[in-house]
Amino acid sequence: MTTASASGPVPGHSGRVASGAATVTAADLSLRFGGTRALDGVSLRLGHGVTGLLGPNGAGKTTLLRVLATAVPPDGGRVTALGHDPGTASGRLALRRTLGYLPQNPGFHPDFTAFDFVDYVAILKELTDRAARLREVRRVLEAVNLSDVRGKRLKRLSGGMRQRVALAAALVGDPGFLVLDEPTVGLDPEQRMHFRELIAQAGEGRTVLLSTHQTEDVAMLCHRVVVLDRGHVRFEGAPAELTARAAGRVWSSTERDPSARAGWRTGTGAFRNVGDPPKGADLLEPSLEDGYLLVLDGDGDGDGDDAAVAV
Amino acid sequence: MSTATPAINEPAYAPAGPPPEGHRARGVLALARFEARELLLQAPMLLTFALYVGYVALRLMGRDGMDDYPVLNTVDRQTQMEPLLFAVAVFICCNAAVLRSRKSNTVQQFDVLAMEPWRRTLAHVLSVIPYAVLTALVVVGAFGREALKPGAIGHGSVGELAIGPLTVLLAGVMGVLLAVLLPFPFVPILATIPFYLLIVVASAAGDEGGREGWLSPVLFPAQTGGDPVPTDLLGRPAGWHALYATGLCAVLACVALLRSGGRTRAVKAAAVLALAVTAAGAVGQFSLDTKGLDAARRTAADTPQKVQSCTKHGRSTYCSFDEWSGVRSDWAEVVGRVRSAAGGAAAQVSLTVRQRIGIGDQVEVDSALDPSSTPGEVTVGTRWGGNRVPEFAVGAATVLVGGSEDMTTQELCDDARAVTVMWLVLSTDPTPMDTFRNVRLSDSVSGPGQVLAPTNGLSLTGPQTTVIRELLERPRAAMTARVKAHWTELTSARTTTAQAARLLGVEVPKEAEKCEE
Repeated sequence: MTTASASGPVPGHSGRVASGAATVTAADLSLRFGGTRALDGVSLRLGHGVTGLLGPNGAGKTTLLRVLATAVPPDGGRVTALGHDPGTASGRLALRRTLGYLPQNPGFHPDFTAFDFVDYVAILKELTDRAARLREVRRVLEAVNLSDVRGKRLKRLSGGMRQRVALAAALVGDPGFLVLDEPTVGLDPEQRMHFRELIAQAGEGRTVLLSTHQTEDVAMLCHRVVVLDRGHVRFEGAPAELTARAAGRVWSSTERDPSARAGWRTGTGAFRNVGDPPKGADLLEPSLEDGYLLVLDGDGDGDGDDAAVAV
Repeated sequence: MSTATPAINEPAYAPAGPPPEGHRARGVLALARFEARELLLQAPMLLTFALYVGYVALRLMGRDGMDDYPVLNTVDRQTQMEPLLFAVAVFICCNAAVLRSRKSNTVQQFDVLAMEPWRRTLAHVLSVIPYAVLTALVVVGAFGREALKPGAIGHGSVGELAIGPLTVLLAGVMGVLLAVLLPFPFVPILATIPFYLLIVVASAAGDEGGREGWLSPVLFPAQTGGDPVPTDLLGRPAGWHALYATGLCAVLACVALLRSGGRTRAVKAAAVLALAVTAAGAVGQFSLDTKGLDAARRTAADTPQKVQSCTKHGRSTYCSFDEWSGVRSDWAEVVGRVRSAAGGAAAQVSLTVRQRIGIGDQVEVDSALDPSSTPGEVTVGTRWGGNRVPEFAVGAATVLVGGSEDMTTQELCDDARAVTVMWLVLSTDPTPMDTFRNVRLSDSVSGPGQVLAPTNGLSLTGPQTTVIRELLERPRAAMTARVKAHWTELTSARTTTAQAARLLGVEVPKEAEKCEE
């Protein structure tokens, strides 16, 4: 990784930057695991708010998140996050001080209480002022609505509660850059809704990168979306732009249309088809998922492919 | 539980500016505190510490009279083995604490946090220190209680006292190191066995005088139950050994840090310093002048007068190794008491009470001392209190009656002198029957029996025992007067037990005229 061109850490609490500016940039990232190119020239720019990262299994989403979270160094390319270059020891440390990372399958120390676990993470984040640290732990546990169970051991909490503890651990220290890898997996609809609220709240004033399979999450939460496939960025833009990709390309039919790139029977019994509609087709309002499917199917208009688009 | 997101009014964590100087060290200390508290919550730690403290408390409470005169150069070593079980728990729990992240699959999320793995390892090492300090407090408490007794003899060694806490520290550091080198949960269980065997082998080597045994940080105490000797004859390089063990702790800690990625200049420098300290301690252990030590031991055993100082109390002289100088007045009190019941010249004779030790191939042996052939010389050992008091009285009475301890090498069967000796011992004792029972090996007051003394002791026949018991049932003052009046006969080798009984006016046992032994 080369030295970041950005001009040092951005002043302000937790590396926050003024709204509208790019806070995290990745340029031409590549990473290979054996013979597999997990990332192949990935470039993107993130700013404040929640950015969704969509992609099929094996697209490289987790790898990209791990690179941005400083868990693994890339083979090539460079990252600048909140003005820090994680390619240097000091830059990496500075970034880690203002980073919140929730991995795909977060681990828990089952015998720790929720409070102790978050406190432990806070210590590892080097929040050294004891009183301030304990106050912060209470604050994030309150933020994820776990104040009532903070004294309970993690092994006695439900999966959803544990996921919220992990989010609290990621939020502790008020990080300026939050990396969330499929945080809503395994949650029931009610918990997922609550989690969305938490993530939306977290996105206020910070940079949040949310990897998910749920296009619904992206539609509801994200002001930007990145579609990754086989290590390449296939799309980067606003969710509405992704949805717009499917404008005029979604139609309804009584039978599956063989010319459709994708089609499925809906609850009404009619088929929803995505692709190139026949003349006179009964066009439907497109969704984000329709746009996502078309992008994955190679139906991009070219400007999203491997291109860094300003957010 | 409500799923509504609460409004958070409290401001988020907001450090003022860049981390201040010492910020990272404070982070490590905060984690060390956290880990120390977590260790405290582990059942094996709580259980073994409670056992440790309970055992020490029981040892301090359940005493016999001899413990009123603790020899501090043995008491300090007693503190070394007691925390061993606790140390095993520290070893296992520290290992588990380091492996916690791996076991709970939190490595991935913790690896991107500010505190690097080697600093976490350092925190784990530091988390053991409170337990070493806690052990030190128990050690100091137990030793202090003994040392503050008015009868405490000699002095302890800081080096010896440090070994218990250092063992706990070393166990914790080894637990951490093992987790870093071999991160599998079963390893500490398997490792405990070879560590134990290493200590056993090292202890055996140490017992045989092999200095290499001292390379083991912990040594099982040798010759338990042996008689104490002056500190300078122990030949234990306790200070060097404590230095060696301290260095070893530091070396192992540094290896753990380096292996965890802490290849900083400070850690490398600390590793070099720790190695130097360990080497200095190890070399110091081997630098003992063994020839000089052997010679000193030989002198102390064969010609103790050359190294002892003496004090005069009344007509007698009391000579001891310097550490026992405080007990001389107790010896004088016993001699005075025994002498008060004696008659003839014995009431005025000048005695020399000489402290003696037995040294063979090893020190602190539990061997019998040969009777002294020097007229008027009474042998006293290095233990005092409890049964050792009447045993010493037997020795003193033997010399008053027979002129020297050599008397015990003669056949005393059917000899009035055995009765006289025991009368002197018991007639002035506040609980004569109990003392009579306690001073006999058989713990009975009838039939034949061996009476203990610092050297040979006496063999009492059944009739002699009967006569002594009869005497003790008579008015004390009257019997004392009779003994003094017939002192010459009662201290003559030619007077039989039956004759003595007649002289003292007690019933002559039927079998008194024949020797049973």
